[in-house]
Amino acid sequence: MRSRSAGAALAIPAWAWLLVFFVAPVAMVIWFSFGYKPGVFGTHSNDILSLDRYAEALSPTFFATFQNTLWVGLIGTALCFLIGAPVAYWMAFKVAPHRRGILIALVLVPFWTNFLVRTIGWQVILAPEGWMSGLLQGIGILDGPLEILYTRTAVIIGVVYNYLPLMVLPLFVAFDRVGPALREASKDLGAGKLATFFRVTLPLSRPGVIAGVLLVFIPLMGDYITATVLGGARGNMVGQLVASQFQTAQNWALGSAMAVVLMLVIMLTIAVAAAVIWVVTLPFRSSNRLVLGPEETKTDADTPAPAEVMS
Amino acid sequence: MTQTQTETILRAREEPGRGAKPPRGPRKSWSDIAFNVWGVLVMLFLFAPIIVIVIYSFNTGRLLVSWDGFGFDAFLTILEKPAIQNAVRVSLITAVFAAIIATALGTLAGIAMARHPGKWVWWFLSLLLLVSVTPEIVDAVALLPWFVLLGQDLGIGMFNDGYVRLSVGSSLFATAVVSYIVRARLVGQDANLEEASADLYAKPITTFRRITLALAMPAVLAGFLLAFTLSLDNTIVAAFVQVSGTTPWPVYVLSAVRSGLRPEIAAVSTIMLLLTLLALALVAFVLRRAGDSATQIARTMTGG
Repeated sequence: MRSRSAGAALAIPAWAWLLVFFVAPVAMVIWFSFGYKPGVFGTHSNDILSLDRYAEALSPTFFATFQNTLWVGLIGTALCFLIGAPVAYWMAFKVAPHRRGILIALVLVPFWTNFLVRTIGWQVILAPEGWMSGLLQGIGILDGPLEILYTRTAVIIGVVYNYLPLMVLPLFVAFDRVGPALREASKDLGAGKLATFFRVTLPLSRPGVIAGVLLVFIPLMGDYITATVLGGARGNMVGQLVASQFQTAQNWALGSAMAVVLMLVIMLTIAVAAAVIWVVTLPFRSSNRLVLGPEETKTDADTPAPAEVMS
Repeated sequence: MTQTQTETILRAREEPGRGAKPPRGPRKSWSDIAFNVWGVLVMLFLFAPIIVIVIYSFNTGRLLVSWDGFGFDAFLTILEKPAIQNAVRVSLITAVFAAIIATALGTLAGIAMARHPGKWVWWFLSLLLLVSVTPEIVDAVALLPWFVLLGQDLGIGMFNDGYVRLSVGSSLFATAVVSYIVRARLVGQDANLEEASADLYAKPITTFRRITLALAMPAVLAGFLLAFTLSLDNTIVAAFVQVSGTTPWPVYVLSAVRSGLRPEIAAVSTIMLLLTLLALALVAFVLRRAGDSATQIARTMTGG
C-alpha cells in the first residue's frame, strides 16, 4: 500500500483549486473593504487603509436594509422549520416505506429545478393580473386585485418556498435515523405522542435540525434573486445592495465592506442563536440526565429519559 | 428455547424494514390524517410554481404573466431567437466543464479523505464547509475582481474568456458537494478489498483504478450529475463573472425579469425541466443499481 502522505496528496488539486479560486478572492475582498473609491472612474484603491467603509455600510441608509434582511432571514428560517418539520416527520414515520422513494424524489425535483425559474413561477402566481388574483376576487375573498407582489410578504413566500427542500431533507434523514425502537420504548414507558416527540425524537435528531437551519439561513441571508424577482428593484436585501455597489455604483470598496458585514452578521446570528438554545435547554439537560450503562454509548448523553420523569 | 428463537427471528425480520410499523387498526387517528393532509399540501406548494411555469409555456400571449390562449408559439419562437439558443448552449457547455472539474477534484479529495485520514482531513473539511456556507453573492463579488486581476493586470488571457470564468465560478460549490458524496460513500465501506488487492501484488495504480474507483463509482456518477445541475442553476456568480457574448441562460432570464418576461422563457424552462428530471432519474437508477435504498439516496444527496 502507498504511504499515508502519498494518499493524502490526492487532495492537493482540490486544495489548490479552492485556495486559488475561493480563499484568495475572498481575502482580496476583505482587503478591498479597508480601501476607498478614488474618484468617479476608479473602483477601489488601497493606499489609505481605514474602517470608514464599514462605518458607511452601517450608516442609517444601509442599516435598515441589514435589519430587513436579518428579519426576513429569521422569519423565513422559522417558517421553513415549522412547515418542513411535520413533512419530514410524516415522511420518516407515517408513510409506508415503499412510498418514501417517490416522496424524496418529489422533494428533490423542485430543489433541482432552476431557482430563478421557480421564483418566476411565483411571480406569475402572485401577479395582480394573474389567475390567483382572479380566483380570489371571483370567490369574493378579495375586493381588488391581489397586492402581494413586490412586498416583503412576497419575498418571504419566495424564500420559504425556495429553501424548504433544504430543510425537509436533512430533517427527514435525521428523523429516519432515530428509528422506531426508542420511540416505542418511550411510549411503553407512558409518554404521550407529544412528549415522545419533544423528549426523544427531537433531541436525537439535533444534528439534522442544525444542518437544516444552517442550510436555509445562510443562503437565505445572501439571497439576491428572490428579492429581485418578488421584492422589486427597491433593494431591500443586503445581497441586492452588495450587487448594486459592484455593478451599478462601481464602488468595490463599499460593496466589499457590505459583503464582509453580511458574513459577520450571519456568523454572529448563528453564534447568538446557538448560545440562546444552549442556555434555554440547560435546565432540561441537567435535570433529566439518566445514565444507563450500554445505552449511553449508543444515544446522546442528554437524551431525556421518560422513566426519570415519571418517578 | 423455541420462544427465544421465534423472538430472534421476529426481531431479525423487523430490523431491515426500519419503518415497518406494527399493523394498525382500520381506523386512522386524527393526527395521522392531519399529517397526511399537511404532507400533501406542502408537496402541492412545492410543485405549484413549476406546474404554473409548465402551463404558461403554452401561453400564446406576448407577456408571460397574462394568459392569452393555448398554443405552441413559444416553443417555435425559440427556434427564431439565436440569443436564447446561444444562452442555453453557453450554460450547457460551462455546466459540463464545471462538472468535469468538480468531479475530478472532488473524487480525488473524497478518496483521500476516506482512505488516508489524518489531521489534514479536519482542515480540508473546514475549507469545504466554508465554501458551502459562504453566501453566493460573496463568492460572486470576490470572483469578479479576482478574474479582472488575473486576466487584465497579470495578463493571463484565459481568464478573460467567458467560458473559463463561468466554468471556474460554478465549479467551487460543486467540488465541495462531490467531495462530501464520494467521502460518505467510501467511509461506509472498509478497505479490505484494497488490502486484498495489494496482497495479490496489484500495483497501487491498478488497485486504485480497479478497486477504489470502482467502489466509489456510483457516488462519482451521482456527484457528476449533481455538479452539472448545480452549475446549470448557477445564477448569481454567473451574473457577475460573465463576459458579454457568453451570457448563460439564468443570466439571460434574470435580465428578462427586468425588461419583461415572455412565454419563451417558460418554454425553455419546460424543456430544461424535462432534462433535469431525466438526469435525476439517472442518478436514482445508478444509485439503486448499486444497492442503495431510497433513504440512502437521500442521505447521499444531502452529503450525510
